[in-house]
Amino acid sequence: MEKLILELKEHLIEELNLEDITPEDIDAEAPLFGDGLGLDSIDALEIILILEKNYGVRLANTAEAKPVFYSVKTLAEYVMANRQ
Amino acid sequence: MECYVEHIACHDNLKRDPKELIPDAALRRRMSRVVKMAVSTAVESVGGVEGIDALDAILTATGYGCLADSEKFLRNLIDTDEQLLTPTPFIQSTFNTVGGQIALLRHNRCYNLTYVNRSHSFEDALLDGLMRLSDGESQRILLGAFDERIPSADRILTRMGLGRKGELGEGATFMTLTAERTTDSVARIARLDFPSEPLTEAECLARYGEEPTAELIYAVDGTRELYPTRTARLVAEAARRLSAERREVIIYNALLGGTPTVIVVRWVG
Repeated sequence: MEKLILELKEHLIEELNLEDITPEDIDAEAPLFGDGLGLDSIDALEIILILEKNYGVRLANTAEAKPVFYSVKTLAEYVMANRQ
Repeated sequence: MECYVEHIACHDNLKRDPKELIPDAALRRRMSRVVKMAVSTAVESVGGVEGIDALDAILTATGYGCLADSEKFLRNLIDTDEQLLTPTPFIQSTFNTVGGQIALLRHNRCYNLTYVNRSHSFEDALLDGLMRLSDGESQRILLGAFDERIPSADRILTRMGLGRKGELGEGATFMTLTAERTTDSVARIARLDFPSEPLTEAECLARYGEEPTAELIYAVDGTRELYPTRTARLVAEAARRLSAERREVIIYNALLGGTPTVIVVRWVG
């Protein structure tokens, strides 16, 4: 789980061009949107693609996106449960 | 039609860091190299993001557009077999990205147009600016141009023979146009013309030169960097060369086929 969390943080930094941020700066339990990293709806699309390209995970139901995308930890849990 | 020019900024001569010039981190992090280069230059030209509020028109010009993001988007398209396309390179690769991002920095909803017309993109944007000022539709216009250099475009352009005329290059130049002279005016655009056929140096000076010391500079001179909107940079160069002794500089551009263009820049004293 810790390894997956680190990997997800690295993908987020790389794909979302998060300037001057290292994996250590990202609190795995802090919110990704609004407060915390301050991501927006375009970033949400990028995260969907990160999950699909790297882990083969697709969001079957968009209604479940909000709790899944809450933090790096919730993303990792979803990937663990659904990766192919 | 004529106008005054002030606050010319060039991308390789910025006094402040792009992070300072583009304070919105969310906007900045999505910007590709050329977008960041052009928007930083534009913001420096208007003296900081607050300067965008005073503009009543934003005119940008580019010959190639955002090449790196266009390439990234197209490569993505091929690599993923037209599936799983990321949105950012697509959003950022449109030609009007720079004009849009400048406006977004301060939510400025003024007239905002991008000209993409090969090697006269800048001249076409300048013509729009001159007409707006002449008709009283604008009082203070941000005019700028940008083009970037990427390795794959270099290979294609060199294969097409363009590289033989000089080293390929890139640049971003922005300036403010006003109808009336201000204390910040550094030059006057006295004339813009699109002659129907190529002109020799003597013909050009005879047709456009009013001052005996008029100097003619070429967009293609065999040694300097070549890119479609290089004439924007030459306006900055012309303003730098003007003095009491040299009161007129004529810029002649016949870069990439088509009809040539002529910009006459005069000293304001």
